[in-house]
Amino acid sequence: MAKKSENTSSVEKQLVAPQETIDDDAINHASSEEASTEPTVADITAFVETAQKLERELTSIIVGQERVIRELLLALLAGGHVLLEGVPGLGKTLLVRTLADALSLKFARIQFTPDLMPADIVGTTIVTEQADDTMPSGSKRVFSFQPGPIFANIVLADEVNRATPKTQSALLEGMQERTVSVGDTTRPLPSPFFVLATQNPLEMEGTYPLPEAQLDRFLLKILVNFPHAQDLMRIIDTTVGTQALRASKVATGEQLTHMIEVARAVPVATHIKEYAVRLLLATHPGNEDAPEKVRNFVRYGASPRGLQAMILTAKVRALLEGRFNVSQEDVQAVAFPALRHRIILNFDGLADGITPEDLIKVIVEEI
Amino acid sequence: MATIAPSRIAKVLPGASEPASSEQLIAALRPWRRKLTIQQVLGWGRAGLLTGLILASILLLVSRLVPWATALYWAIGAASTGLLCALALALWLRPSLAGTARIVDRRLALHDRLSTAWEFQHQESTLATLQRRDALIQLGKQAPTRSISLRPRRSFLIIAGIVIIAFVLLLTLPNPMTAVLQQQAAFQARINKQIAAIERLRNTIDHQTTTSPEERKQIDQILKSLEAQLSNAKNETQAQQALAQAQAKLSQLSNLQNTNKILANAAASSALQNSSNAALQALGQALANGDSKALASALKNLASQISKLSPAQRAQLAQQLEQAAGQASQDPTLSSALHDLAKAVASGNSSDINAATQEVENAASQTASATANQGSIDQASQSLQQAQDSLAQSGDGTNPGQARQGQGQGQGQQGQGQGQQGQGQGQQGQGHGGSGGGNNNGNKQGNGEQVYVPGQIGSGSSSQTNGGNNGIVQPGQSVPFSQVIQEYTAMAHDAIDNSGIPLDLKDLVHGYFDTLEGQH
Repeated sequence: MAKKSENTSSVEKQLVAPQETIDDDAINHASSEEASTEPTVADITAFVETAQKLERELTSIIVGQERVIRELLLALLAGGHVLLEGVPGLGKTLLVRTLADALSLKFARIQFTPDLMPADIVGTTIVTEQADDTMPSGSKRVFSFQPGPIFANIVLADEVNRATPKTQSALLEGMQERTVSVGDTTRPLPSPFFVLATQNPLEMEGTYPLPEAQLDRFLLKILVNFPHAQDLMRIIDTTVGTQALRASKVATGEQLTHMIEVARAVPVATHIKEYAVRLLLATHPGNEDAPEKVRNFVRYGASPRGLQAMILTAKVRALLEGRFNVSQEDVQAVAFPALRHRIILNFDGLADGITPEDLIKVIVEEI
Repeated sequence: MATIAPSRIAKVLPGASEPASSEQLIAALRPWRRKLTIQQVLGWGRAGLLTGLILASILLLVSRLVPWATALYWAIGAASTGLLCALALALWLRPSLAGTARIVDRRLALHDRLSTAWEFQHQESTLATLQRRDALIQLGKQAPTRSISLRPRRSFLIIAGIVIIAFVLLLTLPNPMTAVLQQQAAFQARINKQIAAIERLRNTIDHQTTTSPEERKQIDQILKSLEAQLSNAKNETQAQQALAQAQAKLSQLSNLQNTNKILANAAASSALQNSSNAALQALGQALANGDSKALASALKNLASQISKLSPAQRAQLAQQLEQAAGQASQDPTLSSALHDLAKAVASGNSSDINAATQEVENAASQTASATANQGSIDQASQSLQQAQDSLAQSGDGTNPGQARQGQGQGQGQQGQGQGQQGQGQGQQGQGHGGSGGGNNNGNKQGNGEQVYVPGQIGSGSSSQTNGGNNGIVQPGQSVPFSQVIQEYTAMAHDAIDNSGIPLDLKDLVHGYFDTLEGQH
């Protein structure tokens, strides 16, 4: 349930490193060391209830973006990163911040700018004074690691395409490997770890479009569309009044990690897997099953990560739809956010104004 | 907005502890499988029958355009085959339980619940059990009897109605090709009758002792080939052509192999009859008549006279025999025998004379045999002519226009071919008329008239017989040109007056024939 927020600044940290030095041993290793366990009925019940609460919290604050919220939940419960794309003012940042509010997780926001440096993200080693009685001065100077904002559970990479490729690539290792290497030390990131990046498709001047390798690391790319008139009316009612809405906590990081495990256990029939594989292969222009439009306008098709993204998010969608199995409709529904950033158009496609959504629609219709 | 559906899950979760075994799933799927099988059998059977009826209608339609005696059987066969094949395929390819799960998933929009449950039916994990229970709950909400309809679609009923009406109409409406088929059947009966007659003729000729085996074999081959051609004949024209060709072959066989012997015999006998010696005259007379007894007697008289003759008389006698041998040069056997006899007479050796006389007797016997062969060939040719007549007469009653026209053309060609052959013989100086087998041909040439066509070189002549009742080679008979031109002129005038030719052109043609008539 939403509630008034009295301290909004406590959650949002803009380019602010964590105040305390994080001890390497204190970092949560839960995901890497825990053995996968069979979910129980209670786990499934908890999953459904928590997901329902979380969605309710988000929809009560973010008006007119139900599809975006659903897709964000799919990525969150599948344990993947999300790239949110939309024009300014549609509530991308608010959505991520509300999500962080609803989850008892450590949240960090990084505003990407051209002068942002990799060390500003991952952290750096600094010289600090440490008390030492043996020293005449009573202290000694030692090197200690100052973690960057990436050492949080939910990282909002705002306007990620405004930073230089060098800085953008600082996110690469963290997103894929969930570790950060500084100097000669590799440090694991906390679990759960989500990167929610936003980018503006309009103001392309002075930006650095994300390379394909980095785009591929986002589980889903969610397009934030402009709300309808009815939704705009509701936005007025909820945002320009005297009371500011704030999401209440509905889940902890541990619960979220467990929910991810529950979602992964959803069974997928062989013919559904085969269907997903056919969909993925159809995005490749060289494939014999690829539609004519794909052959004409696609340079590179989706990578195997696209297939993983489809199946993972389809599992979550199945649970959210009240089923315990993945259906063909689930795969079709998640194909758009899972594949749209993995299909690279050729010159003809770009020149003719073809969008990946057009191609995915054709693929879903023909396959 | 798509929202989480806790109500669905709420129904499943409390029953999670309840068993949802694979046996339950199979038991739940079985009625659906039965119903789907029945639906498939009925649906495919209907489609197969409809396809068969469409095919049958097409076959019946074709049978109205071209004569096809067995079209009805084929149509019934097509309809039955379509139905049976469809039923067999429907039973053979009836859905399995896994297939049933997929089909029911699709038809009831169960979002792959059943197919997933079927695949994980042996898994006992919590999610698999919940999934199975969820699938069973969703399936239990529907009943096969309500969800699977056995009634055909309206579009199918409309199409089936149209096809059935078309099929019934094609079956019941009179087929214009029936008359053609009856004509064909009658024609086939006539052909069979003629084949039987030819078979009898073969047997008859085979038992004729007067014909040499080689000749019988050749005639038999010709008749056998004719039988095959008649069996394959599609219409009366082809049958008539086959008969005419067989006649031509028989005629050719007669002309080429036997004529020379007969002519040589005639020339030698003529030369001997002109001799002053009575014995040689008797010998020539015997050769001309083909009388073997008279020949033997004449040769005996000659042999008995030799011993009484002087060498000069023997030399004169030998010279006359040598001349006769020279005249019989077209029959090498007879010529050689006469030559040997001449030498023996000249020498006066009795044993040589006896051997030579025997040789002459043998040669004369062969010539007589050739004459007998000619009789067999004539017999066969006559039979074939009768067959032609029979076919033509029968054809008159069944398909007068078409059959008579074809016959006329065929006979005309045959007569022309024989005429050319006769002309060739004439160039050699011994022309024999070829026989035309024409009989009432389509144009007005077939009036039983004979036109004399003289050999261009030599003394031979050929006759083109139009309207003769047999194929026997007949000597040319002279018909005055004035008579012929009068008949043709009258026919031409009639034809022109009865046609739609403009008046000025009619006058032109009339004038042309008047000019011709006036030349003689």
